[in-house]
Amino acid sequence: MSALSLVFAAALFCAPAGHPIVTEVYYDAPGDDTGQEFVELWNDSDSTRVLTGVRLEAGDGAGPGRWTLRWTGGAGDSVKPHARFVIGGASVIPRPDVVLSLELQNGPDGLRFVWPDGAAEVVGWGALEFPEYSCGTPAPDVPGGQSLARIPDRANTGSNAGDFHPSQPSPGAANQRTVDAALLRHHTTLVPEQPTPGGTATLQIALANAGITAWGAADASLEVASDLLAAPVSVNAPAMAPGETTMVSIALDALREGRGAFAARVHIAGDESSANDSDTLLARVGAGPLEITEIQFHPAASEGEWVEVRNISHGPLLLEAFRLGDHAGAGGSIEAGPPLPAESLAVLAQDPAALRIAYPMLDGTRLRRVSPWAALNNSDDATGLADQVVLAEAGGVPVERVSYSASGIKAGVTLEREGDTWRPSPTPGGTPLAPPRPVAPVAGGFRADPRRLHPGGDTVNFAWELPWSPAKVTLELYDMEGHRSRRLAGPLDSGAHGERPVTLDALSPGLYLAVLRAESADGSLTRVTPLRVDGR
Amino acid sequence: MRAALLALLLARSAAAQDFAGASPAGSTRAPDGLLDRALPSASPSFSASVSQTSWWGLAGLETRAAAVSASVHTWRAALGLSQTGEPEIGWTAVGIGFGAASRNAGAGLRACARRDRDAPWSVARAFGSGAGVEAGAGAWIVPADGVRVWASAPQVWTGGAAPPLARPLELGVRAGEGSAAWVRLVAPRAGDDGERALGLSLEVSPVVAWAEVRDAPLRGSVGLTAAVSALRVGARVDAHPVLGETLRLSLAWVGEPRRSP
Repeated sequence: MSALSLVFAAALFCAPAGHPIVTEVYYDAPGDDTGQEFVELWNDSDSTRVLTGVRLEAGDGAGPGRWTLRWTGGAGDSVKPHARFVIGGASVIPRPDVVLSLELQNGPDGLRFVWPDGAAEVVGWGALEFPEYSCGTPAPDVPGGQSLARIPDRANTGSNAGDFHPSQPSPGAANQRTVDAALLRHHTTLVPEQPTPGGTATLQIALANAGITAWGAADASLEVASDLLAAPVSVNAPAMAPGETTMVSIALDALREGRGAFAARVHIAGDESSANDSDTLLARVGAGPLEITEIQFHPAASEGEWVEVRNISHGPLLLEAFRLGDHAGAGGSIEAGPPLPAESLAVLAQDPAALRIAYPMLDGTRLRRVSPWAALNNSDDATGLADQVVLAEAGGVPVERVSYSASGIKAGVTLEREGDTWRPSPTPGGTPLAPPRPVAPVAGGFRADPRRLHPGGDTVNFAWELPWSPAKVTLELYDMEGHRSRRLAGPLDSGAHGERPVTLDALSPGLYLAVLRAESADGSLTRVTPLRVDGR
Repeated sequence: MRAALLALLLARSAAAQDFAGASPAGSTRAPDGLLDRALPSASPSFSASVSQTSWWGLAGLETRAAAVSASVHTWRAALGLSQTGEPEIGWTAVGIGFGAASRNAGAGLRACARRDRDAPWSVARAFGSGAGVEAGAGAWIVPADGVRVWASAPQVWTGGAAPPLARPLELGVRAGEGSAAWVRLVAPRAGDDGERALGLSLEVSPVVAWAEVRDAPLRGSVGLTAAVSALRVGARVDAHPVLGETLRLSLAWVGEPRRSP
């Protein structure tokens, strides 16, 4: 082949003729990329291709000419006919043919294979400024967890953008398989997140038909195994068209108490890729070793946010073995320190030093910094919730998740646990490292404080006592003649004691009757207390 | 006796506050009708009455009232004093009413001053800065024998601290005397679409029993009044689907002027 024809071919096709071609690049794994990156070559010929002297170079798209050698093919390196050759990190499964740390950039960047005969194949991704890092239009920059795969495997459109597309990583396997049932990684969830021992739950699994062949009902099956189950559970998968993704719910019962993992796997005859057949979910059945007991999500001063926890295991716990965060996940590491004795409280704080200034009597050994601290939201979203406090083991096993509403809660007021319910603390600033103070008896079972409101409106703290628990509570307001003015709150989950601050504004002056209506499985009741709104 | 029983039907509306007795709507022959709704009584009389209202069974929300009334020819006058609620949220009220009435028509004016109970009450303080004052007017006519039509606007004007309950215009018509039926319409206030009421009373001398239903929300009242010589006693219960019951008790002495031979 003349030099001119080589140049012409290169202008038409990105993959040089007569050489294995790049079929997959995985440069952005979730979290730390180390050990997870890989590059895959595919030999589509009927003869073995020797890789001796082939150079793999990484390109830094930030400037021209920034190519760095990552690997050179050794004397024994070759690719068998119609086989794949993977160069990647130690964490890649199945194990690559060559294990090394590629340290590819997340884009806009590129890589290239330079063959001993001078031929080269360049693959670039992202919005590259310099043309040397891509062949034609660069491929798109994929989100973390997805690879850049040549689809179909023989695609040769003349540009990286035309050849490569985001895909689930499939090292060592065809990118476009005839038959391939796949589970989407990290999409498996358990509902409820922490079921009760002996109870039931639903495992929801994201199933995809990653092949080009449809399958019918019962052609594929899903199996779930776990130490938390008495026996593996197997169900038939639904019929699916190529490219289709669906959520499959699997009912689990007689769950065993403890921590463990649900290992889900999909089976189908002729599956051409086993690397994407499984997903694992770390889970807990029953209560964890720590429970969240108090939340300060909007401090009135500068003491920072904090969360109080209690060791409800039967022995000391190392708090650094846990992580804390918000709805986005438990991402904050807990400062190391002495073990927390059983039944003891600890405070996990955004700023322990500031908190000790506000509360000088706090025991410093039970006060730990969390970093990074996930700022807890102070106002509700459309769902009526402000945020979640999420506690998990460092390895990812959930410990507890508490959702809260910030509605009507003044700055500085904490949320305290009372049995299975949460209430605003009656103690200004909360009770860090101390149990909730006993609630004063509520005269008449229902109290409003204050009962005399300013013309512009006030926040009224409603408190109640019920003869049973749990219950659903609704607060309403009527005028003196019995016309309902508005619903103030609810239905709320309540224990035997409850409190709820409610901001009352835009009310006409006059005498009103605040009404508590409570319902439970054991009965219902209504209690009334008067309020006076001043005004002219 | 018939006239005396009718005098027990102290005119008041569902929205009454400070000077209400325990009688149904419709009659205009009672002193608290003038104080409460500016509707003077048809017949001349001298009366003294006391009443107590326990609002929705709340121990800290009761109204105690005393009133006197007098008549000179067609002129009517009334004076009343009441107190409602605990000092933290309650108030003291003084009311006056003037009017004129014949057998077939009447009209009156009323005024009421309220002062919160968070400080000792006095007449000077009642009408001083910080007090709430309201004034209203009412009238009734008898367009046909046994039929009475009334209109009452007890809060035509308000000043100072707002009243505990806004009381809009009320229109009503009543057919009959002791045994009667009536309909009331209350104008809308901010946040509602008014109120409609239908009532019936049955007289079995010397007792009158009555009942009334109202909407928004659907609720009702029942009452019983009785007369022994110049003494009139009454009891009334208002039932609400959520708030419970309001109980009103009243006791009145009614003296009618001797007729000229």
